[in-house]
Amino acid sequence: MNLYAYCLCQEMDWSTLETVTGVAGARPFVMPYDGIVAVVSKVDGSPIAVTRENVLSHERVISHVFAQTTPLPFRFGALLRPAEIDLYVASNRQALLAMLARVRGAVEMSVKIIHEAGSGGDAAHGRGEPAQAGEGIGRGAMFLAVKQRELAEGKMIEGRAREIANWLAEHLVGVVNDSFVRVRPTAGLAVKVAHLVERRGLDEYREQLKRAREERPELLFLTSGPWPPYSFCDLTT
Amino acid sequence: MTSEELEILGESELSLLETLDHVLNLGLVVAGEITISVANIELIFVGLNLLVGSTETVYKILGKRLDNLDQSERSTDISSD
Repeated sequence: MNLYAYCLCQEMDWSTLETVTGVAGARPFVMPYDGIVAVVSKVDGSPIAVTRENVLSHERVISHVFAQTTPLPFRFGALLRPAEIDLYVASNRQALLAMLARVRGAVEMSVKIIHEAGSGGDAAHGRGEPAQAGEGIGRGAMFLAVKQRELAEGKMIEGRAREIANWLAEHLVGVVNDSFVRVRPTAGLAVKVAHLVERRGLDEYREQLKRAREERPELLFLTSGPWPPYSFCDLTT
Repeated sequence: MTSEELEILGESELSLLETLDHVLNLGLVVAGEITISVANIELIFVGLNLLVGSTETVYKILGKRLDNLDQSERSTDISSD
């Protein structure tokens, strides 16, 4: 028998899990580990297909737990033998408890900030102008010139993305417990930020984010949440 | 998804994309097997430190592993000279 793992958490009313259907139609249940509880369901061992139904089932179980407490969600597809879950919890016990304490009472809010490279007249200035050989410029030199220009553009875009991330962080001081920033130095998506926010502080967080957005109308913000703290349960960091 | 509100104007496609972005790319990872299938193609990696992710993530992981393998083979070749 294999188990499909949804999340780890601590306190909640487990009886309500009976009302939820998990991946592959299985009923989730809990496995207690002295202060840590794993929410799992039985599966037949075959690979879990990445389908809309399965992904939403995974998320539905975690959401159910998340409505009562803040869990540490497993990534989709965590299919394990019972002994493997035992070993995982036992060998990472202190780190998991610390992580659960860190996210207790908090939620993850997601912010994606998109800007057009070149808006504001910076990074992609001159982009699209084809380099041309001739006039003493060989193909090799032309290739290197293009590469050099692409490198410079990439650094400029990354610099701007980091500036945006820092600017946002300054505007959310006091309402965010922690942040996880991913900079995407592409022409489009600049910054993906996950904020760890106290549940009771969500209104203030939204208000401050709203004020920040109004300050930078040239940026497009995509925000979502609250989520379980997917971005704040990396044991390797 | 978890949220009663997806603040992106309520577009269900965006909601699903946001869910996928979180569920497939983030979260606790356990050493074990990848046990998912995509379009009926099974992805099973026994004994690796894990890994389930979007194709972007999987390719990134695989790319690094292949790079490391290449470097390892190159260094083996060099040392054997």
